[in-house]
This record gives sequence, C-alpha cells and structure tokens, in this order.
Amino acid sequence: MTSRRDFLWRFGGGLGGVALAQLLADGATHHAPKAKRVVQIFLNGGMSQPDTFDYKPELEKNHDQPFDPGTKEKVEGVTSVPGKLMKSPFPFRQHGQCGRWVSTVFPHLAKRVDDLAFLMAVASKTNVHGPASYMMNTGFTRPGFPSLGSWLSYGLGRLSDNLPTFVVLPDARGLPYNQKGNFSNGFLPAAHGATILNASANPPIPDLQPSGKYSFATPEADADGRELLAKLNRAHADERAGDSRLDARIASYELAANLQRHAPEALDLAKESKVVRDLYGADDPITGDFGRRCLLARRLLERGVRFVQVWSGAGGPSNNWDNHTDIIRELPAIARQVDQPTAALLADLKQRGMLSDTLVVFSTEFGRQPFTQGATGRDHNQGTSVAWFAGAGVKGGVAFGESDPWSWRAAEGKLYCYDVHATILHLLGLDHEKLTVRHDGIDRRITDVHGHVVKEILS
Amino acid sequence: MRILSLAIAVLSLAILARAEHSAERWWAFTPLKSPLVPKLTAAHPVDAFIRTKLTDKGLSPSPEADRHTLIRRLTFDLTGLPPTPEEIDAFLKDASPNAYEKLVDRLLASPAYGERQARNWMDVSHFAETHGHDQDRVRPNAWRYRDYLIDAFNADRPYARFVQEQIAADVLFPNEPQLMPALGFLAAGPWDESSLRDIREDTIDREVGRYLDRDDMIATAMGTFTSLTVGCARCHDHKFDPIPIEDYYRLQAVFAGVGRGNVAFDLDPKTTVRRAELQRGLKALDANDSEYLKRIATPEFDRSLKQWEAEQTAKANPWQAVEVVSAIAEQGSTLTAMPDGSHRSTHAKRPEREVYVVTFRSKLLRVAALRLELLTDDSFPHRGPGLQDNGNLHLSEVKIVHGKEPVALGTPTSDWDQEGWAVRHATDGNPATAWGIYPKVGMPHEAVFPFAKPIGGESFTVRLEQLHGGGHLIGRFRLSATTEVNAGLTQPLPPSIAETLKTAEEKRTGKQTNELRRHVYRLNLTKELASLPAQQFVFAAAATFEADGGHKPLAKPRTVHLLKRGDIRKPGDEMDPGTLSCLPELPGEFSLDANHTEGARRAALAKWLSDSKNPLVWRSIVNRVWQQHFGRGIVDTPNDFGKMGGTPTHPELLDWLAVWFRDEAKGSLKKLHKLLVTSATYRQASTAPHAKDPDNRLLGRMTRTKLDAEQVRDAILLASGRLDARRGGPSDQQFSMRPGIHVTPTVDYGAFDWDRPEGHRRSVYRFLFRTLPDPLVDCLDGADASQPTPKRNESVTAPQSLALLNNDFVLSCAMAMAKATDVDGACRRLWGRAPTEAERTILAAYAKKHGMANLCRTLMNSNEFLFVD
Repeated sequence: MTSRRDFLWRFGGGLGGVALAQLLADGATHHAPKAKRVVQIFLNGGMSQPDTFDYKPELEKNHDQPFDPGTKEKVEGVTSVPGKLMKSPFPFRQHGQCGRWVSTVFPHLAKRVDDLAFLMAVASKTNVHGPASYMMNTGFTRPGFPSLGSWLSYGLGRLSDNLPTFVVLPDARGLPYNQKGNFSNGFLPAAHGATILNASANPPIPDLQPSGKYSFATPEADADGRELLAKLNRAHADERAGDSRLDARIASYELAANLQRHAPEALDLAKESKVVRDLYGADDPITGDFGRRCLLARRLLERGVRFVQVWSGAGGPSNNWDNHTDIIRELPAIARQVDQPTAALLADLKQRGMLSDTLVVFSTEFGRQPFTQGATGRDHNQGTSVAWFAGAGVKGGVAFGESDPWSWRAAEGKLYCYDVHATILHLLGLDHEKLTVRHDGIDRRITDVHGHVVKEILS
Repeated sequence: MRILSLAIAVLSLAILARAEHSAERWWAFTPLKSPLVPKLTAAHPVDAFIRTKLTDKGLSPSPEADRHTLIRRLTFDLTGLPPTPEEIDAFLKDASPNAYEKLVDRLLASPAYGERQARNWMDVSHFAETHGHDQDRVRPNAWRYRDYLIDAFNADRPYARFVQEQIAADVLFPNEPQLMPALGFLAAGPWDESSLRDIREDTIDREVGRYLDRDDMIATAMGTFTSLTVGCARCHDHKFDPIPIEDYYRLQAVFAGVGRGNVAFDLDPKTTVRRAELQRGLKALDANDSEYLKRIATPEFDRSLKQWEAEQTAKANPWQAVEVVSAIAEQGSTLTAMPDGSHRSTHAKRPEREVYVVTFRSKLLRVAALRLELLTDDSFPHRGPGLQDNGNLHLSEVKIVHGKEPVALGTPTSDWDQEGWAVRHATDGNPATAWGIYPKVGMPHEAVFPFAKPIGGESFTVRLEQLHGGGHLIGRFRLSATTEVNAGLTQPLPPSIAETLKTAEEKRTGKQTNELRRHVYRLNLTKELASLPAQQFVFAAAATFEADGGHKPLAKPRTVHLLKRGDIRKPGDEMDPGTLSCLPELPGEFSLDANHTEGARRAALAKWLSDSKNPLVWRSIVNRVWQQHFGRGIVDTPNDFGKMGGTPTHPELLDWLAVWFRDEAKGSLKKLHKLLVTSATYRQASTAPHAKDPDNRLLGRMTRTKLDAEQVRDAILLASGRLDARRGGPSDQQFSMRPGIHVTPTVDYGAFDWDRPEGHRRSVYRFLFRTLPDPLVDCLDGADASQPTPKRNESVTAPQSLALLNNDFVLSCAMAMAKATDVDGACRRLWGRAPTEAERTILAAYAKKHGMANLCRTLMNSNEFLFVD
C-alpha cells in the first residue's frame, strides 16, 4: 500500500494519479486491523493526574512538606516557584473488578474502569502548552506537521463517500491552544485535512450550502448549474486525454453533492431519543456542550467517519484543564462537563456493538505537578500524565506503566506520544514505521524515529 | 526503513565526515562548471539541452501552443493574473515577429510581476503576520517584509545582493536603512511566545525554546538558499548528506545574538545619520565630555542661550485644563472629581480591566493635542499612579471622538516608558499592547497625544482603555489641551537650573554655566530628535529590537553548545559561529576575531551564501524559477538537493543555467525568467502524455497546471471587475477580529463583507493568520506558514468544490461580475476565449433561466478556468 502511494506521491506529484487516488476509498492496511475507527477525547490544558487517576499515598503522608525527589534533577515550575507537596483534595477509592483507583472527580468514569486500559506514565518533552499540544497531536513540538487524523486519512483512506474522514469537534467556547494547528494536515495534501465542525454554528460545515445573503443561488440554479458544469468539464476533459486530474475534479462535485445530502441528517441530534440524550447529558447546562459533541461523534462514527476528535476546554488560562490557581474549584468544574458524557459514549458504543471495532482514546498534553503553585494550584508537568484506551483490540481493566511515588516523573513503562500513536496505528492495521511521507529530504512519520506499540494493553 | 537508514548511516560514515575525502562528490556539492551547449540545430540553449535528451530517448518535442494558450500561460506564470480580453486581442493582432518577446517584456515590467514573485517567496520563507503556536499574536509590522519583496523583485535586485539583504542588510548596508525590512526573512516563521517570553527565564523549557527558535531560522535560511535539510543534523551527523552535527551548531551560533521583534528603521538614510549624531551628542552630554562641551560653547550658542533664558521668564504654560462634562468607568470603578481638576478612581473590588470614558469641553479655538497626566496619591499601592499591586498601570488604547468622528492621532510622546510598553502602543490599535510606567512608580507621569490635524469645536469624548488585566488601572489622571502643534511635554526646569537662572550671570560659577549649557543643548538635541521623521517598524530578526515583556535584546550573543543527540540536558562543547563544511572550495570557517560583533556573524554567513563559488545557491535559485514555469524543478525537491532528494533530470542544463545566471545575467531574475519562457520548450502545447515519458520528465510537451489558491482568487477578482490595483501598505484583514479568551484573537472569516474594499486587492495583500488560515485559501492548498512550502500540494477534494460553489467570496464576485458582463464576456474573462456557438447556446439558456450571477459562478468552477494548458 505505502509503496504505491509513495510512488504516486513522488513520481506523480501534482499529476493525475495523486488526485484520483485521494478521492478514492482505499482500505489497504499493513496487517489485519482490530479497529476501523477512532474517537479521541482530548483534555486541553493538562489534566491533573494526581487528582484523578494516579493515586499517591506518599503525597498524603508528606502533604505540605517541601519536595525533595532525592535525585540530581532540578525541581522546576515552568510558570512559578515550586511550592510544597500537596495531596489530592479529592478522596480516591478502588473501583470495578480490576480495583483501579479513581478519585471522586470522575464518578461516572469510575464505573467503567473494567473497560479501560490505562497508560499511567505518559511523558512529554516540554512543559509549555503550545509545543506539548503539537507533540500529542502531531508527534513534533514544532508546528507544521500533520496531525494524527490526517495521517489516518492518508494511510487508510475514507470509509464513506458521504461524509468526511477526519472530523474535529472543538469546545463551543473556542479553539484549543495552537488553534487549528493541532488538526493541521501539515505537508499532507488538503484532502487529508480536518473538517472542523462547529455544531452550534450555522452552517456547521462551512460552504455546505450558499449563505442566505446570496439569494440568487437557489437549489434549482444549483442543480441545473451542476449539470451544466458536468457538461462543460466533460467536453473539456475529452479534448485533453490522459489527465486524470480533470476527471477527479468532475468526480469531486458528485462527492460534494453526497456530503450535502448526508451531512444534515448526520448532524441532526433531534433524531436521538430522549433516553439517549439524557444518557449523554445533552440537555443539561453543565454537560450539554460536551455531551452533544460526544453524541454527535457517535453518529458520525456510525455513518462512516474514520476519526473524530472531541475537545474539552478552549485555549487560554481558564475554563479548561489548566488549573494553575485552585485545583479544588477548577478541576471538578471542568471534569463534571466530560465525566458523564464520556462514560455515556462508552456505554452507547458498547450497547450498539460498535466498541468492538471502535477505539476510544482519552488523553491530554501533559500532567501536573505534585507540589503547589500558589495556595492550591498545580503547574505544568511534562514528567508524567495519564491516558486511557478502550474498545477495539484493547484489554479492559488493565494498566501499563507507573509514575514515581509523587507522580512527578514516569518511573516504569514510560511512554511518549510516539508510543501512543504507534499503538493507535497498530490497532488500525498500520505499521507506524511504514507510514511515511517524504518531505524536505526526510521520510516523515508521526512517530519521528521513535515509537513502540504498547503490546501489554492489546487483547 | 529504520534498519535501512542505519545501514546507510554506517556505510556513509566514511564518506560523510569531510567531503574532500570522498572519492566522488554528490552532484550538488560539486563546483559549478559551464557545460558546453549541445551542438544541435536549436537556436535556444534550453532547447538544445532538452532536445538532446528527447532525441536520446526516441521522443520528439510537441508543436508550439496557439497564441490564446501562450498568453494565458505566460501571464499567469509571470504575474499570477490572467490576461484581460483586451490584452489577448492585442497579442493576437500583433503581427510583428517579436510579438511574443514584447509580451514577455511587458509582463516582466508590470508591477504585478513583483507581487507574484513575492508570493512565491513567501511560501518558501513561511511568512505570516502572527506568531503561531498557542499565543498566536498579531505582528502589525510584518507586512513591510512583504513590501520589501515586491519592491526587490520589481527592481530586479541582483540575486547575490538579494540574499545578502535578507540575512544581514543592517550590517552589510548600514547606509541604506530602508532595507531593514529585508530582515523580516529571518523572522518570517513562527515564534513561540509562551516559551520565549512568558515562562520563567531560568527554566529548561526556555532554553529549549531558544534552540528551536534558532532552528527555524537555520532551516529557513539554509533550506531557501542552499536547498539542504540542515535540520537533520540537530541530533546527529546528517545520515545522508555531509553535514556533521558541528556544522549545525555553528549555524546555531550565527543566530545566537538576534531576536525576533519590532525593529526600528528610517525610510530616509539622512534621518538615520542625523539621528545617530544627535544620540552621540546626548551621550556626550551625559558623560560630561569636556571635548564636546568645548566644541558646543560657541559664541553663537551662548547668544541663543541668552534668548532661551529670556523666554523662560516670559513663557506661559501652553496647556489648559479641559472642562470635564462627565467621567464614567465601564467596569464598576467610581471616578471622583478632585479640586485640582483631576479624577481619582475608587472601587469596591478592583476590576481586572477598565475603560474610563471622559466627555469634556475645551474653550480653545482649535485643539492640537491632548495631554494625559497620571498623578500619584497616598492611597495607591506604592503611591501609584497605577492601581496594580506594584503601582503600575497599562493603558492599552486611547480613542478620542469629536462629535461622531474619531480623531486621528499622531505619534504620542511620554516622559517615561516601561521597557516593552512604550507609549506608542496606546495608539497602535492593538488591545494586546499598552503604555506602562514600571518601575518608575510613586511619581507622576505624562503623555501627549497630538492630533493628526488641529480640530476646532468644543465637545470631545476620550476613552482610556485599560485592557491588560490584573488590575493594571490608572489611579488618578488629569486631561488638558493645547492649541500648540508642537507643545510637547511640560518638562519643568530642574531645581539646580532654576537656581542658576536666579543667579546673575556674572555671579555664576563655571560649573553652573557649564550645567546650563548642557541643559539647553540637551533640550535642543531632544527637540530635534523628536522632530525627525518618525521611525518605522518591521517585524524582523536583529540584535536590536523593541523589548517585549521578558523578551529583550542581548548585549552580546548567547553561548551555544553542541547538544548531544539534540538533548538540552547533554551539552557538549561551546560552538563558534560558522557554516557548512561540505564545500572544499568555500570553507565554512568564519575566522572572526575574538571581540567581533553579532552582525559580523550574519554578515559572514551572507557572504558565504552569496559567494560565486557556492554551487548550492546558484543551482537552488535557477531550479526554483524553473519549477515555476515547468511545474516541476529540474530537481523535483526544490528544498532538498541532498541524497534523500531528487536528482536532476538534466544536470548539464541545471549547471549551464546556474553559471549563465551568475555570470551572464549577473543574477538578474528577470533575465532568467525571460530566458526560460522564450524557449521553444516552454512554448510547446500541453499535448497528451507520451507512453515513454508519462510524467513528462523530459519535457516533450508542456505540463498543464492547476491554478493555485491566489491565482484563483485574483483571477476571479479581475474577472468580476473588482480588482483594486492599490499596492503595498498594511495587510487587508478579511475577517472580523475581537479579543479572544487569551492572547489569540477570535477570528471569524464568515463575518467578512466581501463588498468592502479590503476584499478587493490582490491576495498577496491578505492578512496572513498563521494558525487560523482563510478557509477558502486553505482548502485550495494555500501555503501553511508553519513550515516552508517549497512546492504547493495539488488536491482535489469535495470540500474544495463546495467552497468554489458556495463560498461568500465566490458568490459575491459572481454577483459583481454579472453586472459587468454578458455570456461572451464572462467566457473571455475566465477562459480567455469566446464560447463556441454550441457553448453559447447552452450557457445563454442557463443564464436566462437562473441569471448571469449563477452562470459566472458555474464558469468559476469549470476546469477550463481552473487549469492552464
């Protein structure tokens, strides 16, 4: 698969082959896939792992004591002077058959731990939001590289001719750090770019229909215009044999018409029963925005979208997971917005039989410090964070890796974004070392020169 | 792949380290020699090379394209615009034997040529007008680099000089300060404001940020000029090319003394010279330089000094307090009128941000300027005059309205500016910047806002916007107005000078006379300095730039260490500045003396890059221009001439062109363009692909090209009769922008009204948001300014077709075009030809049923419009 694509890429660059190939569905993989599609929930700002999933008795013992890890490494706060150790203000309890520790911040997710495979020691290479968000989304701390969704579109092609392959659902309050950079197709063709759906905007998909401002563009004019256009383009192409780009453009208008026909139905949450809407908290003022987007994600996945990314939190200093000032107040507020909808998404996918070939990923750009910033805040921590996988090809109720006694640095089974991405690709039937694109003299991969599949969590 | 690259790495170790040891040098590093033009019947050297190879493979060239095709192809290639129907007619009618050559000359002389070439260059330099990253802040002065490019291309700046200007204009051409915008090249890419300005200075993340920042400059400079991927040597010796890790870190050291920021410059070199003289004078006065004092103490000066003394006693205060009608605060503070005419702000809970709105009357006949005094008060932290815990304040914007008309303001002055928070920020229209006074708290300050022209009439409203947050509010203030155009600051006499003036001249000590002379001379110098034409700013990379919070210019370059495996925690040797060692004929050592300046480093690199012995640079540029005309370079990886890149299809032609361009054309890009487009090879028809050469590597025909995003937009603007020919200046914001949650503004492209004039200039003048690109341009494979784009992608997608059908820009232009033309005219504007009888029938029928606007829209989606044969 890759060699053919590479061939088209390198030698047909700009010519017909690539254009046509991009338009066609292409299901070839490197090995048999376990998952067909992915939904990723991204917690923008850095979820505090010692207050959610990474239980540390040591912090309770040494609460309010100065922090001395006993190593040579300098203890640093990236925006503040390191304070004293702080135990989590939220009580932890063991849950499920597997006995996973979860704090009271996530009561609904706590009930689903037997479906989840935790990665307990995911590190980053930076303590700064921008580069760290780039890293978790593109594999590089610098801007300009393709995001995971674009790589999947490039590697796997589309599942449906009616809907886009890669859809991003940003928080209604705004885009995350790096704005659209986190979902960029980088140096991959625009065909692999994200469709950013603002479900509350009108229209939710830009340019799906002409805006009402231009009343001359009626549906009848559109229909006849398309027919005329096909005639003109056909005649033009017939006189110019051997240029499949011209054919690809003719075909693109048919795909566009498919999208116009099918998108409104896919986006229509009114089609869901009250029971389902309530499960997601879609009409609740706190869980509503995130709940509706989780429900929308399920509808899109059901209808052939390959990769949906659901964001919690916008960029900036508040209303996200970047809890510098007061963990006690800030964390439960944001966690409550995602807890019930995420648990609902898992339950709903399972109930519909979709969890068997859908991968669910829950992750963030970095963790937070075991010591305080100010009175009760926590600063950024590249040392360790927690993510989890669920669904297709993944064991439930397991955990891989461990942080040190304070949840300051990864201690065992340390992972980077490379390993997380390699594992996602693996589950989708792709070998991360083979999914490459030549750019500026380098065969680029989402995993750069790193990456190991986390076999321990595979079923 | 991984195993393979390891194997190659091991294999290449022997050849890699030093190029002179390798038996056979990689083509790109070999010295340039001009190959003989093959002896063939072809009259044009390009054709001689191309045809030799075609003949070798048993292929023959295609016939010449018809004149319709030629003028459309040539006009799009050289200017990015389509030919107008009139231009097409004129060319078709021109029976002179040199009609085509005349056309080429006309297009090369058209200003649109520079606009097109600049846009191509902006792809490679990844130019945008915001920082990118998570704090995607606007760079209001970045456009000057775009204008520099347009001017340089239109003036046909010789290439060696063009290279030098973009790396070191300030050092190599100090007498041409108007070239400073060329340094926008090094700063064109993204800048990580969080890492480089906001996080703690002493953190590892800050240091990582600095290395990555310089990495972007290295990648930009070396990728653009040498077509090498030097960044591969950041962690280890380049696996495929002879670039050891030491070379990479020597390049890091070249840029270790510059920072990205607003760099001041003068448009007129004379101003720079005078400014420097005046500043030297002030310095000498500060230092009490006796030589200097002796020089200024002329009888003539002493006479003017006496006159000044006389004026001091007679002088009246030009400022008159205004009569405040109302003063309110929008965010809940209370403004109380004080007996001295000032207002004091109090509050129950200090708001984060605040706006004071003061309506006042002035009895003056004409108001020429407004003065804002910031006053202290014992109740303020540190006595103020600000209400922030440290006594500071930040005045984001001052907006004055007279009647309903906003008052245009000139350049403001102040008695004191906080570093990075100059008073001009209070009138720059950017709510993210402001005037501050820290650390000079506990004392009053003042600023003068001159009106662009004096205004008569009495009622004014002034808004004092304090939007920085954190309670950076004004505690107490007083407004006054003046009729004097150059009233300036009040500047009361220092007590010692006042004392001297009271003393009779003959009773003054030598020291007193000396001090008085210094004082008055300083006033003269300061006054002249203030009266010089205002300095301009460009967002560029230089040693000196305007400080921005914690991001400040350096006294001397930072130390750069070789980082083992690219790891900040594994610093190796300290590195001296230098460049690549892979060209034995052109050493990469700079051999600078121990106390060299920052600029010497960049100057040395600029000279290395523009040296006639540098084969990479000359091959690189002719290949880029070739790509522009033939759709693909002779080397199809224009930013990578290394072993992982392509190899030249016509190596002799590449070298011949490089030598010709360097020696015969003396680096004239216009001559190079002309040479290529006058070849028969370029003028071939784009016939069907040949089975022996399906990808047309051998150029037995012309390759059809798809219009890029800017060509599509510009052609639609021109066809709709809307194209506005105004050139240069600040970029057009084709979106609505309001403050975002944090630094990055909220940008809405859908809210823009395309009937507005900001929507009608060429695409090169669009404001370029790095992480929030224009959706139409984005889906047409516009360049992503996060990384260099040496060659655009060419996608065909459903969202692209939807955008071309339904985007507001397209629909609004279709409407405008419908008013301007008929069926035949629409085809001539968009296709460059009239419709056939059969076409006319179906087009007219559609237009009759659904209107011309829908027909124009449909034609804008046709392949005949979107492709160039």
